[in-house]
Amino acid sequence: MDVIWQGIKEGFLLIIAMDPELVQITLLSIQVSVSALLLAAIMGIPLGTVLALKEFPGRKTLLNITYTFMGLPPVLAGLLVFLFLSTSGPLGYFQLMFTPTAMITAQVLLGFPIVCGLTARAVMAQPQEVFDTAATLGATRRQASWVIIRESRMGIIAALTTALGRLIAEVGAVMMVGGNIKGETRVLTTSIVLETRMGNDSSALAIGMVLLLIAFLIMLLILSLEKRTFKDERRIQIV
Amino acid sequence: MNAEFKLFNISKRYGQREVLNIDNLEIGGGRIYCILGPNGAGKTTLFRIMSLLTLNDTGKIHVLGEEVTWQKNQVVRLRRKMAMVTQTSFMFEGSVYYNVAYGLRVRNTPAAEERKTVNESLELLGMMDFINQPARNLSGGERQKVAIARALAVKPRVLFLDEPTSNIDPASALDIERYIQYINKEMGTTIIMVTHNLFQARRLSEEIFFMWEGKIIEKGESEELFEHAQDKRTRSFIKGEIVF
Repeated sequence: MDVIWQGIKEGFLLIIAMDPELVQITLLSIQVSVSALLLAAIMGIPLGTVLALKEFPGRKTLLNITYTFMGLPPVLAGLLVFLFLSTSGPLGYFQLMFTPTAMITAQVLLGFPIVCGLTARAVMAQPQEVFDTAATLGATRRQASWVIIRESRMGIIAALTTALGRLIAEVGAVMMVGGNIKGETRVLTTSIVLETRMGNDSSALAIGMVLLLIAFLIMLLILSLEKRTFKDERRIQIV
Repeated sequence: MNAEFKLFNISKRYGQREVLNIDNLEIGGGRIYCILGPNGAGKTTLFRIMSLLTLNDTGKIHVLGEEVTWQKNQVVRLRRKMAMVTQTSFMFEGSVYYNVAYGLRVRNTPAAEERKTVNESLELLGMMDFINQPARNLSGGERQKVAIARALAVKPRVLFLDEPTSNIDPASALDIERYIQYINKEMGTTIIMVTHNLFQARRLSEEIFFMWEGKIIEKGESEELFEHAQDKRTRSFIKGEIVF
């Protein structure tokens, strides 16, 4: 228990003190995970919508592959990126290993299937009436598809928050392709691993608190972009 | 007057089951038409084909003077001359204003004209007080009125009504019936409705099409059909011996 109390105390002190190294690590964590999330969203939301709405050969197989990759182990994602970016790999020429770019790439690999798969589920959950109503009011296919995405936005926001939760807390992939280099590729999760290995349990816990706070703040930002807060969320009334 | 809808040898199957098989059907314009029949008679399928929401398997369909080729641009152009109100009156997430303005926005209507038309439509249905309320918080009757206002905002030549009063209280239902008559008589909109309510069909419609197992088995002037139906299945349905 002492370690936990010590960790909580240290966590508060770290946040208040704004330690420059911790600030740098935190900013890099945010940069890597948010960039990966944005890229995953840019690709995943349109593709998820197409998988949900468009009938074409292989659609179900693609959906099943997407769902399978939602459970992709971070270490495996890291390994795949490592094999491509290492000096002997096909993209080794670009010398991206042990850079934030490599870390973002690995996290996109983890985030994309989540955003794509959950977007597809959210769009597929919409009733036929959404299209029918839009179409009978004169919408083109594109306009009707847009309104379907709009109606699915709660599900899409859930996809983004789920993906972010996975990315910000992920350690295996960033460790493998980033290398946990101080001042360059060290992020909050790899710092926790390092502190734990060095026996500094309370410091590890303190960094964990910072990580949780950052995750909470980013989630809040995503939700406020949708002009919804936890308070306004529609709930089933159980009486 | 030219017929608004002409259907020749139209059929539709879902799997092995044929749900619609119509040899020849013409629906004129300017009146209130009612499609009657028990559940599973093919009313909704016919409705969906006429409003260009479902493709027919065989046959030809002419809508508002044009043979339907199902080419994307043609479908959107024709749909923009029609509107539909369904029994659930689905509302988009957003305000009553957003819902009523939707059809105008997809037509790129200028903002000032959009505001004016939305206000006019809501005023006609007595729903101006609800303009900024979330549409999904409305009661069944209120939703149905907003759905009608939304359909009217796009000034359709043909208005499809699928069980427009099935989920609402009798007072609101009578209100809506009055609006339907007003829209037809004062605005000249052709109304094609599906209803299970025989009293309502008799009160509102001028011409009736009676469907049975995917076919139109009888059609005629409303009063004539209610008083002197030729087919015994129609008579049984009108007498209430066949319930849905």
